[in-house]
Amino acid sequence: MTLRRTAHNLLALLRKRRLERELEGEIEAHLELAERDALARGLSPEDARREARLRFGGVEQVKELHRERRSFVWLEALLRDLRYGLSSLARSPGFTASVVGVLALGIGANVAMFSIVDAVMLKPLPFAEPDRIVRVWEAPRPGVSNATSAANFLEWKRLATDFEALSAEQSISVALQNGGEPARLNGKAVTSEYFRVFGTQARLGRTFSAEEDQGTAARVIVLSHATWQNDFGADPDILTRRPMLDGEPYQVIGVLAPGAFDRDETKFWKPLAFTPVERESKSHWLMVYGRLREGAELTQVNGRMQAVYAATMEKASEEDRQGAIVVERLARLLVGDNLQRSISIAFGAVALVLLIACANVANLLLAKGAARSKELAVRSALGASRGRLVAQLLTETLVLCLLGGAAGVVLAWTLIRVATPALKEALPFTAEVTLDPRVLGFAGLVALAVALLTGTFPALQTSFGSLAQTLNRAARGSSGSHALVRRAIVIGEVGLSLVLVCGALLLLKSLLKLQQIETGIRVEHVITTSVDLPKSSYPTPEKAAQFYEAVAERLRSVPGVSRVGMTSHMPLQWIGNGEALQEPGERNLVRVRLKRVDPGYFQTLGIPLLAGRGITARDTASAPRVVVINEALAARLKDVSRVQEAVGRKVRVSMPPFGEPTMSMPEVEIAGVIRGERVGPPGMPDPAVVYVPLAQTPATHVKLIVLAQTDVAAAVTALREAVRGVDAKLPLGEVVTLEQVRERTLSGASRPAWLIGVFAVIAALLAGIGLYGVISHTVSQRRREIGIRMALGARSRDVLSQVLRNAVSLVCIGLGIGLLGALALTRVMKSLLYEVSPLDPLAFAASCLAMVLVGLLAGWLPAHRAAGVDPVTTLRDEG
Amino acid sequence: MSKQQSEVPYGTLDLLVLRTLAVMGPLHGYAVARRIEQVSGDTLQLSQGSVHPALIRLEQEGWIQTEWGISETNRKVKVYSITKAGRKQLLVEVANWEKATSLVARFLEES
Repeated sequence: MTLRRTAHNLLALLRKRRLERELEGEIEAHLELAERDALARGLSPEDARREARLRFGGVEQVKELHRERRSFVWLEALLRDLRYGLSSLARSPGFTASVVGVLALGIGANVAMFSIVDAVMLKPLPFAEPDRIVRVWEAPRPGVSNATSAANFLEWKRLATDFEALSAEQSISVALQNGGEPARLNGKAVTSEYFRVFGTQARLGRTFSAEEDQGTAARVIVLSHATWQNDFGADPDILTRRPMLDGEPYQVIGVLAPGAFDRDETKFWKPLAFTPVERESKSHWLMVYGRLREGAELTQVNGRMQAVYAATMEKASEEDRQGAIVVERLARLLVGDNLQRSISIAFGAVALVLLIACANVANLLLAKGAARSKELAVRSALGASRGRLVAQLLTETLVLCLLGGAAGVVLAWTLIRVATPALKEALPFTAEVTLDPRVLGFAGLVALAVALLTGTFPALQTSFGSLAQTLNRAARGSSGSHALVRRAIVIGEVGLSLVLVCGALLLLKSLLKLQQIETGIRVEHVITTSVDLPKSSYPTPEKAAQFYEAVAERLRSVPGVSRVGMTSHMPLQWIGNGEALQEPGERNLVRVRLKRVDPGYFQTLGIPLLAGRGITARDTASAPRVVVINEALAARLKDVSRVQEAVGRKVRVSMPPFGEPTMSMPEVEIAGVIRGERVGPPGMPDPAVVYVPLAQTPATHVKLIVLAQTDVAAAVTALREAVRGVDAKLPLGEVVTLEQVRERTLSGASRPAWLIGVFAVIAALLAGIGLYGVISHTVSQRRREIGIRMALGARSRDVLSQVLRNAVSLVCIGLGIGLLGALALTRVMKSLLYEVSPLDPLAFAASCLAMVLVGLLAGWLPAHRAAGVDPVTTLRDEG
Repeated sequence: MSKQQSEVPYGTLDLLVLRTLAVMGPLHGYAVARRIEQVSGDTLQLSQGSVHPALIRLEQEGWIQTEWGISETNRKVKVYSITKAGRKQLLVEVANWEKATSLVARFLEES
């Protein structure tokens, strides 16, 4: 079609109605003129009109010819192909369903995965100029990031010049009484510049001002938009309300604009005003966030912060002086290396699944093409050009892929809805996983790419060859190069599947290793929950101690509960706050983690005592202050070569005060040494831990730990009743088993394991289906040959084993290729593996075995069919 | 009809239309059809309507152009005239036709 005609036709499309009118007029004028001439020749008016019409020919036909001329031929051809394609697909519903199903799986998994990649890695964080938001860590030694102390934070604020805003944050949890049952509300105590750091403004009221950093904390809070909506019914008069938090009235001074914080656990913010003691304290308990000045370079900022660090550490211990300040982008913090790697690997895995799905579809298309070659040959003989045939076949594939893509989007939507709650913990709160236009665009592109990838070759292959060849081939009952190509595809599928299965097995093995990690504590039958004691009803340490004792007593009398313990920090979980320990006569401070525990703690968790004694009921507030330390700390004490030597030592330990200001580093005696319990995720060395009697330094935030004799569910009820019995107004935190806690803490790194496991199963399944297709095709084409061989005396068993050998040999070639791929690819998973080599021979052997089994399974049915061939009927049918 | 009638030889309608417009100058559709019939001495069995698709095609190729005119019955009609490209195409078509007829003629001579 020439350019000119294309232009004409385009115009014609736009002016369709006018052109139609013009055509009408033109024909009428023609008829009128003809009629006039006829009249002039002396015909009667009726005859004249008749003759004019007669000589013109079919008016409608002319119009149709006209329209055809000005329309797009290829567009019409396309529509025709589409119609033809759809009807031919409808005619083979089995084929259509299997292709659409396979594609839906492949595309759906990819779209769902892409929505996660997009939300976590591609989209900028949902804050204003997110690149300028940073977290400022203190790093006591390379590779270990830590919270900081109020004293250090205030020094940074005074000395650092690179920040537009710098803010400290402490997580808190309060009981909200808003009518009815008390609810626990997670919040943050923050200094006034917090919202400037995140570029978030108040929608109603205001956020904090500098005055609120001073003096004792004002009872004011800022709510997130979601909290205002969900917990306060979007009350327009919220600024006049006085909700009771921990039994005290608070004033809501502001509600944030909707945004990322609505997805965070944080429901409200209150001012963090340091007490004089806290300002001097050596406790490291604050997270610090900053907004960099415009144009500040991160590397330079890090360099300049070193000078700030040196200035604040002048009087510090030698150990602390070797530390550093680490400024790191919020995005990097939220999406750590491991998460990024996990997601990339999972995305890679679904891409492989899609590739395998494509191979399967190409295979199915080739098989269908072979079946249709006669039809196409006839069409080609009737004058259809090869281009037209390829176009038609591609159109059909495109229709299939679009159908598969649409089904895939539906599947992805379901997957996202189902998986998002499960993923919530693994993903940063800023990530919003949705099927937005970007994701849908991705789905469309994938469907198109799949159509080209799967359709081109089969279309070329199928449309290739002359009529005579095709008919010949059909008569001979073999499809030459078709069969070769399909085998090659299956081999590739097996190879790709092997890579996935192998990766999944490696992850599974490391998951099993993680399950066996020595936690140093008993986790079976142990349940735990948390309680927060509001200052209004528990203003003094004595009151808190009374509460602990009362709850413990109640629980001890419950029949199903055998042991009860309490602690300030959940077992197995990392303790974020660092404290300082000083030995007599030493200037150096040892960085330690502090855990307050009651006398039942070690027993409940079965933590063995190595030397001295544990914490007992006699260690009350009025008794001499003692601590128990772990092995790791004992090893760091001066002149201690055996743990026994640590017992009886006096040390000073910084302790966050309970309510009233107290001495910041009281002297305590080491009463005993226990074997370490695991603190935090695998790979982190055991930190030095100091166990302080709960009765001597009570905490407002306590975990209750209960060892159930047998019935965990009954123990949960008992736990709830015990707390309620002592104080009905206290909201209880989530009740979890320690096994769940271990799961969350330890398996974080291998979370993608189950996901990749699912992909691997799908991949193996698809490879199996592909293999089955090829083998059964081969068998059906070789019926005659098999029939002859059996007539000549071959036994069924021979035929059976020959077909199976055929299947397994295909698998084995695939395995060879797959092994090379797996050797190359499993290395990238190294950081996700725990005590498993990326070349683990067991995983490699098992995955090969699995694929051989898949091959046998896929070959079994066709092999049986082949073995059941009756030579007489076969030869009669085809001879 | 007494005279023996024949159809327009396959593929020559374009040639006839172009030639008509080249000789007669601008004409509307009916006049083109009528002229072809007259020149053939009314031996061509031309369904007059088939001229119109040919006209559209030639216009799309840029070989003829249209303007609006008024018919003898006082109706607004399209008037077609041959373009420069059309005259060139006419030469090509004539040459093709002559080649074809001489080929056929040679066959006839031989036998």
